[in-house]
This record gives sequence, C-alpha cells and structure tokens, in this order.
Amino acid sequence: MSIQVNHLNKHFQVHVRQAGWADAVRSLFKREYKVVEAVKDVSFSIQPGEIVGFLGPNGAGKTTTMKMLAGLLHPTSGEIKVGGYVPFEQKADFKKMMSLVMGQKSQLIWDIPPMETFLVNKAIYEIDDSVFRHTLDELTELLELEPLLTRPTRNLSLGQRMKCELAAALLHRPKVLFLDEPTIGLDVHTQEKVRQFIAKYNREHKTTILLTSHYMGDVAALCDRVIIINHGKLLYDGGLQVLAEKLTPYKLLEVRIPTVPQMSWDEYGEVVEIDEGKIILRVQRDRIPEVSAKFLQNFEVHDLNIQDPPMEEVITLAFQEESHVS
Amino acid sequence: MQRHWRIFREFFRTCLVEELEYRSEFIGNLLSSVFGIGIAILTIQIFFYQTDQLGGWVYEDVIILLGIFNFLQGLIDFALRPNMSRLLQHIRRGTLDYVLTKPVDSMFYVSFRHLVFWRLIDVVLGGGLIVYGLMQKQYIPSLSDFLMFVVSMFSSIVLIYALWMLLMTTAFWVIRMDDLSFVFNSFFETTRFPITMYQGWLRIVLTYVLPAAFITSTPAAALLGQWNGVTTLVSLVVAGVFLWLSRRFWRFALRSYTSASS
Repeated sequence: MSIQVNHLNKHFQVHVRQAGWADAVRSLFKREYKVVEAVKDVSFSIQPGEIVGFLGPNGAGKTTTMKMLAGLLHPTSGEIKVGGYVPFEQKADFKKMMSLVMGQKSQLIWDIPPMETFLVNKAIYEIDDSVFRHTLDELTELLELEPLLTRPTRNLSLGQRMKCELAAALLHRPKVLFLDEPTIGLDVHTQEKVRQFIAKYNREHKTTILLTSHYMGDVAALCDRVIIINHGKLLYDGGLQVLAEKLTPYKLLEVRIPTVPQMSWDEYGEVVEIDEGKIILRVQRDRIPEVSAKFLQNFEVHDLNIQDPPMEEVITLAFQEESHVS
Repeated sequence: MQRHWRIFREFFRTCLVEELEYRSEFIGNLLSSVFGIGIAILTIQIFFYQTDQLGGWVYEDVIILLGIFNFLQGLIDFALRPNMSRLLQHIRRGTLDYVLTKPVDSMFYVSFRHLVFWRLIDVVLGGGLIVYGLMQKQYIPSLSDFLMFVVSMFSSIVLIYALWMLLMTTAFWVIRMDDLSFVFNSFFETTRFPITMYQGWLRIVLTYVLPAAFITSTPAAALLGQWNGVTTLVSLVVAGVFLWLSRRFWRFALRSYTSASS
C-alpha cells in the first residue's frame, strides 16, 4: 500500500495555566487556550514496500503524524491517503490492512501467555484457521517465539515482549506497518534481532513500513530513505547517504603509524584524536585521495581507514542547521 | 451480530484462562456471594418483622425482586464492572489507540473485553432466589407471565448496559474511577426494593428520569402475573432510547479523544 500525505496540518488546543493558587481558581471559570501547531504543512509520499525512517527530536510531531496516518487523530487540514483509504474514516477494511506497534505501549494481556492475545486478534481480524497457523509458524520461526508462547506475559523480558508485540501486530498480515520506537529500552543484542526481523519481513512481504526511532542504528540499518521533521515542519526527505554528504562534507581518516610525530597537521586535516600509533583526522571529502596519498608517501603506514562520520552526528547537525538541509 | 458473538466467546475464553491463573479466588468469591445474599435476605426479614408489606409487595414478592436484583448485579459484575478500570487505564496509558486500530466496534470492545466469570455465581444465586420466592408463594407463572418476564428482563439488561456506558464514557474526562462506580452503585441499590416503596419526587425521578422502575420492579411484577403490555412495551422503548443515547455519547467522547490526545 502506498502512502500519500499532502499539506498536512494538525493544531491542538492546549489549556494554559500558570502555577499558583490565584490562577488555579481563575482557570475554573475562564480557561485560556493556546493553539499548538504540532504538524505544519507536511507533504510526502511512500511507495508500496518501501521502508522509511521518520526522524525528529522529542516533540517534533512524529507521533502525531503517525497517529494521523493510522486514523487515530483527525487532521486539522490537508489530505492523507493510505492505500487509497482516508485513515480517519476508520473503515474496517482499512484497519485490517494496517498495524501499529508502539514501543512504549503494550497490547498483550499481562497475566496470560501471548498466545491468548494472538487468539483474540485472530477472532477480531477474522483470520482463517489455516492462514493463522501458517502465519504464526512463520513468525514463531523468524522471531524465535517458540519458548515464549506459553509463558505468562508478565514473566517475559522486555525484549521477549517486544517480539511478541510484533507477532501480535503482524498476524493479520498488514500491508502497511507503523512502528513507533520499536526498539526503545532494548539491549543492543535484542535491538539487532528486532532490526533483522523487520528488514527480513519487509523484504519477504513487501510491507510498507514507516519507522520512528531514537536509535540511529535502527534507521541506518533499515532505511535507505529518511524523513526528518522538527517543530512540525518537514526538514528533509531523501536518501540517508545523500544527507550525510550534504551535511558533513568531510570523512574521518584513521591512520596507524608506528610513532605519531609532534607536528602541525593543518595541511592534512583537522585533528580529532591522537593516540599512541594512531591518528584520526577530519578531512574534506574531495581531499581524501590527496591526503591519503600524502600519508603513504611521508609515513610508514600500517593501516589506513576512511569512515563516514557517525550518523548521530549527521542527524544532530540536521536538527540544528534547519536552513542548510532543504 | 454473529461475528460479535464469536469475538465475545473468544473474550470469554481468554478471561477464563486469565482467571484460572488465580484459582483460589473462586472460594473467596463464592463465600462473599453467599454471605452477601444471606445478609440481603436477613435485611428484608427484619423489615417484615415490622410490617407485612413493602410498598404493596408482600415478603415473597420482595424475595423475587431481590433475586432479580442479584441476578442483574451478577451480570454487571461479570461483564461491565471489570471493564471500567480497564477503560481508564486505556485512556491514561494511551493503549486505547490499539483498541481504535482494531476492526471491531470500539464500544463493544471496551465494554466486554474483560469478564470476571466468578461473578456469574451471583447470577445463579439470584436465579435460585427467584425460584425460591415463587415456591414460597406457591405461584406457578403462566407461559405469558414468563414471556413478559423475559421481555422485561431483556429491556432491563439493555437499560443497565446503556446507563453504565453513559457513566463509563465520562472516564474520558473524569479520572477517578472509584467515584464513577460509587455513582452507579448508589443508583443501582435503589432497585433492591420495589419502586412503589419510594415516595414523592424520589419516585418520580426513579421512574421517569433514571428509569430504575424498569430494572427490577417491572420484571418481578411480570413474573408474578401482574404485567401489563403497555408497561412492557414502554420499558423496551426506554431501553432503546437510552442505548441510542449511550452510543451517541460514546461517539462524541471518541471524537474529542481523537482530536485532542497526542
């Protein structure tokens, strides 16, 4: 299913109140409201089967946008089409084609094994027995759920629970999947597992996936394309690699030489780190070949490594330099 | 309808599994139900030491009314009450979002998702009390008495559901659930006695504003052969109107939820 978003806006009316008694009493009678523009004129479109990272700092409008896409919030203005449906009409056919997973909120029943939640979903989504068994087998294998299915949810670890959340959300084979912080709070190993699963699932089922995450690792591993918003406005929409080149016109050059001489490195690049036998320099992208050659010529180089700057850095820059990006 | 019945059965099944996790509760619930009904019968007996009728109803009639009250209370505690606190949790934690993304009627889901089936003990005990009352009175209802009873019980259940939902829906704005339960209980307790027992404005309110009269008095009268077709019909209409109101109110609440939460 494709996703089309045109000039989307969402305003909230928020009740404002100062601290203190006098104001508390006053607000009983007369409330002051302030309009918060959570999403401002956002447009983008996502092709079927695409997996897109949705980035922004806290309060940027990511979750609000995602909720509008899932039909949970009514847009103030603008148009949304998900697979041809207008989400807020909340048609049963639309709901059967999409799924929402929120890392901080659970849909599993706390006191009984996840399998029971799966069966409830089976009844709600009217999944045929054979299809259900087949899907469950597949998810069980991909997510290694076998030992978890029969244990009460409350006895599962956070990571195990997240895997079960994913399974519960995918039983009806949605065509579009909204993942809001799916790896939040998970350890590095489990994060990696969840990522691998999402990538594989997307490859095999051509499910359209929109993912928000705080962990750059998630986005770097899963998404070729990112959409960045801040203060409700779209800052960037395009390839992750392109963004990195645009924002960080340098690479990191790590060179291992037996002894690092005390000298000025200005003609090579900007020093990031000097250690025993190792130096890391920040070098303009177009000067990389020249600087590398210089190193090889002038030093006894044991190893030479060219790296892109870490994604975290790129994104932090993107949030700061709003004007430079788009 | 059939689909909702299937989903309801699935809710029932999972709740059964859930409850079986805490088996010891069965004994506790059984004891408290038996004790509760015992106290209620005792209270009525105390009344009848002083008088031989309550609002025109004799002892056996009041026992039957109490049976109906207990039956309905069992149903409330079985299907409705357990869902009140869950709805509040859903709203506060934001998991109502999951309910709203499911292809099932949200009002149906939030009112029947959680069932505490031990409370069906009260339904059975209530049924027993009705039979006991009839035996004491040595009255065998005719087929038409029984049919009228079934119809008015049906309206009574629908009415209770609608009133409960109207109250439960305020959970979107009210945050304390104890208060909500208290409001409903205070109202529902009035149906423990015949409507004719109440005087003046209280009776008017309980008949025309909050139609408590239709909840226990009408079915009890029907079973005792004192039914009248018009009243039964009115009870059906009133139940329908309240159900429609509760649905409208639920929709309204959802609209404000979905335009304000973040």
